[in-house]
Amino acid sequence: MTSLGVEGARKHFGGVQALDGVDLEARDGELLVVVGPSGCGKSTLLRCIAGLETLDEGTIRIAGRDVTRERPAARNVSMVFQSYALFPHFTVSENIGFGLVVREVRKSEVVSRVAASAELVGVSHLLARRPAELSGGERQRVALARALVRDPDAFLLDEPLSNLDAGMRTEMRTELRRLHRRVGATMLYVTHDQVEAMTLGDRIAVLDAGKVRQVGEPDDLYRRPNDRFVAEFLGSPRMNFLEPDRAAAFLRVPDGTILGIRPEHVRLDGDADGATTRVELVELAGSDAYVHLDAGLVARVPADERPHEGAEVQLRISAGDAHLFDRATGARLPWT
Amino acid sequence: MRAGERSWGGWRQPAAIAVAVAFLLPFWYLASGSLREPGAPPPRAPELLPRPLSVESYDRAFELVDLGRYTLNSLAVAALTVPPAVLFASWAGFAIFLLTGRARAVLIGLSFAALMVPATALLVPRFAIFRALGLTDTWAPLVAPALLGLSPFYVLLFYWSFRRLPRELFEAARLEGMAPLAAWRRLAMPLVRPVTVAVGLLAFIASWGNFLDPLIYLFDSDLYTLPLGLRSLAVLDRTNYPILLAAAVVSTAPVVLVFAVAQRFFLHEDRGAGWLGR
Repeated sequence: MTSLGVEGARKHFGGVQALDGVDLEARDGELLVVVGPSGCGKSTLLRCIAGLETLDEGTIRIAGRDVTRERPAARNVSMVFQSYALFPHFTVSENIGFGLVVREVRKSEVVSRVAASAELVGVSHLLARRPAELSGGERQRVALARALVRDPDAFLLDEPLSNLDAGMRTEMRTELRRLHRRVGATMLYVTHDQVEAMTLGDRIAVLDAGKVRQVGEPDDLYRRPNDRFVAEFLGSPRMNFLEPDRAAAFLRVPDGTILGIRPEHVRLDGDADGATTRVELVELAGSDAYVHLDAGLVARVPADERPHEGAEVQLRISAGDAHLFDRATGARLPWT
Repeated sequence: MRAGERSWGGWRQPAAIAVAVAFLLPFWYLASGSLREPGAPPPRAPELLPRPLSVESYDRAFELVDLGRYTLNSLAVAALTVPPAVLFASWAGFAIFLLTGRARAVLIGLSFAALMVPATALLVPRFAIFRALGLTDTWAPLVAPALLGLSPFYVLLFYWSFRRLPRELFEAARLEGMAPLAAWRRLAMPLVRPVTVAVGLLAFIASWGNFLDPLIYLFDSDLYTLPLGLRSLAVLDRTNYPILLAAAVVSTAPVVLVFAVAQRFFLHEDRGAGWLGR
């Protein structure tokens, strides 16, 4: 069942087309991540769904209702902002209960729901503090508690982890996933971080220049990207691309196409049939190493199997791992 | 700490003392001059305290003109002016803040344009309007500008202060269904308290020192404000400096007192309380 749907959404600011016919559906209880580079329109999409911006064209449905022309409060969505948007002069308790108080819920009920929500995200011991007295991670939890307290039809999260340091971001990512499983709510999560998208999302929608490029499960998008943009955007290090003349050393690739190969599929296994190339640079990234090769490729290998810089290596790429894209349109092509 | 900062830090205290002395000297001259005997000429050289010390000039000032009534009148006019000036200036500033795009740019431009118009250029048309409304010889013309925020500068001051607050705070409030007026009262105003106090103080000083408007609109001496009283005193006893200075002290003291009370709000930024009332 569709809990949140956007059809034909268009929005422009001056001469900039922020949304260019976006169609998107989040299923009931799903965590749908909208990912894309800066300026691709993902935050605009979220703000339009929340009602903070109005669409030029298109329809927004939340819990089966057409809310396109409804004011923000009538849409019954909660939003977690990138900056958390906690009221600095309110205590944590007052921040969490804010929406209930504005909606004139009885004070005893506000207190109990605030306590339950704070318990859920683990900030019960901070209720009397003000935001200035909290760490970034604690503020993030309070912002989540404020969103949870009202039991909305959908949650909108606008890059909520981007202000946290790397360690805290990883921790909060796991907690968010756990929290989503526990509450089972429909969440639309916007981020520019493809790692966040891959690890958090039940499904991912990749947005570029106001258009949805592909929607699907993280694994599908990674393994079968619809076009070159999606292939390039998802994955770190990014996918290698080779023109037919350079790819010829490994595979036969038709003219007018581009070969794409993930770094983990570039084998440096010393096969005598492979092409020989020189190791230009080796970057160590924990358990993996990124090997930059003279052939214009990056390979990802286990750190303890990494070659040393300057070494000659045999390089092999199998057709089953490679992707083929149309050179002009970037669309995925089948192997022939 | 960089070298430049260190040297500035070293100079800061003497510089602050020099500025304070430059500002306090006229006040000292005012206070010590008011303690000379009535009729005494101004001192030929600066003096710390006059000899003999006398408060008789204060008695004479209150005998010559009804300074007590004029002080109360000025306080009443200020009390009627300052709250609406702060209220309307902050409303206007908040409204400009909430607007977007061209509407906001136009209103900011209009505020600047209004700021450029000299108040004296409007004296004649304003007088004509208030006379047509039958409001001359009342305090209404003195208080009426407060209904427009008293000065476009105060409106802009509030707008600039609100603009410094994260817009997401107000978007979060909008999502929860909070009305703009409630957002102004519950969110915006508690977060710009020092600016509110500053605007209140500026409005008080503007009202307290307003000489031109009372001179034009007030004919009944029972309605006179303190600046008009001082002017009357200068006309009655033009060369009696101790009496004039005593009246000037009476007129300055409330402003100093109000500033002394208000300055703690500049120095201690109390952010106020939320719905739990703490």
